[in-house]
Amino acid sequence: MLLEVIDLTKRFGGLTAVSDMSFAIAPGEIVGIFGPNGSGKTTLLNLITGVLAPTAGRILWKSAEIQGHSPHAIAAAGVVKTFQTPQLFLELSIYDNVAIASHLRLQRQFGMRRLAELLPWRDAARHVAVMQRIDSILTLCRLDGVRDRTAASLSYGQEKMLGVAIAMMCEPELLLLDEPASGLGEDEIRTLEEVLRDLRDAATTLCVIDHKVDFLARVADRAIALQQGLVIAEGAPANVLQNPRVIEAYLGRQHARA
Amino acid sequence: MKVLLWVPFFIFPVLVQSNFVLTIFIFSFILAIAAVSFNLIFGFTGQLSMFHAAAFGIAAYITSLTVSMFRVSFWVALVPAICFTILISIVIGSICFKFKLKAFYFAVVTLAFSELARLIILNWNSVTNGTLGLMVLDKPFVWIPGAGFLKIDGALGWYFLTLVALILTVAVCSLVLRSWIGRCFAAIRLNEDLAETLGIDIFRYKLLSFTLANALAAIAGGLYAFYTGYIEPNYLGINQSLDIISMVLLGGRSSIIGPIAGAFVLTGLPHIIDLSGEARAILYGLVLILTILILPQGVIGTLEGWRRAA
Repeated sequence: MLLEVIDLTKRFGGLTAVSDMSFAIAPGEIVGIFGPNGSGKTTLLNLITGVLAPTAGRILWKSAEIQGHSPHAIAAAGVVKTFQTPQLFLELSIYDNVAIASHLRLQRQFGMRRLAELLPWRDAARHVAVMQRIDSILTLCRLDGVRDRTAASLSYGQEKMLGVAIAMMCEPELLLLDEPASGLGEDEIRTLEEVLRDLRDAATTLCVIDHKVDFLARVADRAIALQQGLVIAEGAPANVLQNPRVIEAYLGRQHARA
Repeated sequence: MKVLLWVPFFIFPVLVQSNFVLTIFIFSFILAIAAVSFNLIFGFTGQLSMFHAAAFGIAAYITSLTVSMFRVSFWVALVPAICFTILISIVIGSICFKFKLKAFYFAVVTLAFSELARLIILNWNSVTNGTLGLMVLDKPFVWIPGAGFLKIDGALGWYFLTLVALILTVAVCSLVLRSWIGRCFAAIRLNEDLAETLGIDIFRYKLLSFTLANALAAIAGGLYAFYTGYIEPNYLGINQSLDIISMVLLGGRSSIIGPIAGAFVLTGLPHIIDLSGEARAILYGLVLILTILILPQGVIGTLEGWRRAA
């Protein structure tokens, strides 16, 4: 297992946002996590990426405990997330947005040999491999046509895509996407689905958190349904969506009985 | 190519043999070192440090005291000054960045530490001579190939010494900024939350920026003390900090050249139109307000904007 969440609990004062949650993510799959507002989706994501520390429970990344580690350390270990509202470097060009995220790649590839970059006769832009990687990510995320525009000039759909591109430059083994489809039009959602499948084919494991059920049903290999901080169903998306508890959570009791 | 921009500065004193003009340039060079290094933490990393003048002043005191107590040369005395500045920067920076102090909170806490340093120096009469300040009678020696050790005493010697120090500061800053360290600084300035999720250790890079900026300011402080021959606790005061901020804002904080231009204008102008201390403060204030209102990018920033648009 790539990521294992074991009996994870997070309380904010009297509110239990995540309650005894357990699940696992295997390498190479696309896992969809969904649930109504307030079901603990974003809290769960913040716990995994180290933005919040859990009240109880464990998170194992490749069998090593990572709960409570700092966000940058977890990112360096290979777990990277995108934001629900796109977080970008607005003043920079699309290309530079992705280039600035080459930090982890250089750290892994060169370690302290990065210090050689400080020598005046070394050209800092010599990392041809890094530049090729930026180009391929921009192509993958359908942003190669706008690479020289500033991030502030993008449409909302492109902003979301750039968020994914920046995260991909960190070479995550597990990419967590926080509501990637929210606020997108139908066409943009189709493109997003293609991009996500391309990413999976490029050996990235994906965990998509969203409340757009039909989108998740199309893109995910496996779905996990949450309600009020609990896992209420898990399995193939079609089966999970037929689960009476899931229907009840989404549409209310009357629909579940019908 | 940018290296060629420095050439006129080396020819300048041959053409203009006026001690008055050279003096303005020497002050400008030293304050430009302080402004360029301050811009590392302020303009490039986006953290408004109010400790910069304190680093400058503390180093000025330590260099002077080390020379007078141990009878060593200026260059030897600069070492403990820089080391102590680095140490104190790590302590203060760790406190601020561990508690994730941002924007005005960071400014206020660093200001408190800077006032603390000033009050210690002001009241430690037995060592620092309190409000009266210290006379610094020594001058640095420099080894020139073919001429041996030369005492830096006259305006011409100081002109070249401070010019070389400024060039070295600019070189260090530009090498750091074009490397991955500079990209991390930019990421922190532009979007700290995003930077952290991209695996950038915010604490480490902020601390690096703060420490490097203060260490370079320490060099400026040492040079200033030995050039003017006199130091007093006001060098650590808030006015000194505001002067440096004005230089950076006037010149523009998006480049290395900006603060140098700002240092030249704000150092040269009061001398050229011969202003008293109070009038100078009014001039600084006016320049600051007008810059923020009319040229928010600073003079150099605006010029670069035009060049890019053209």
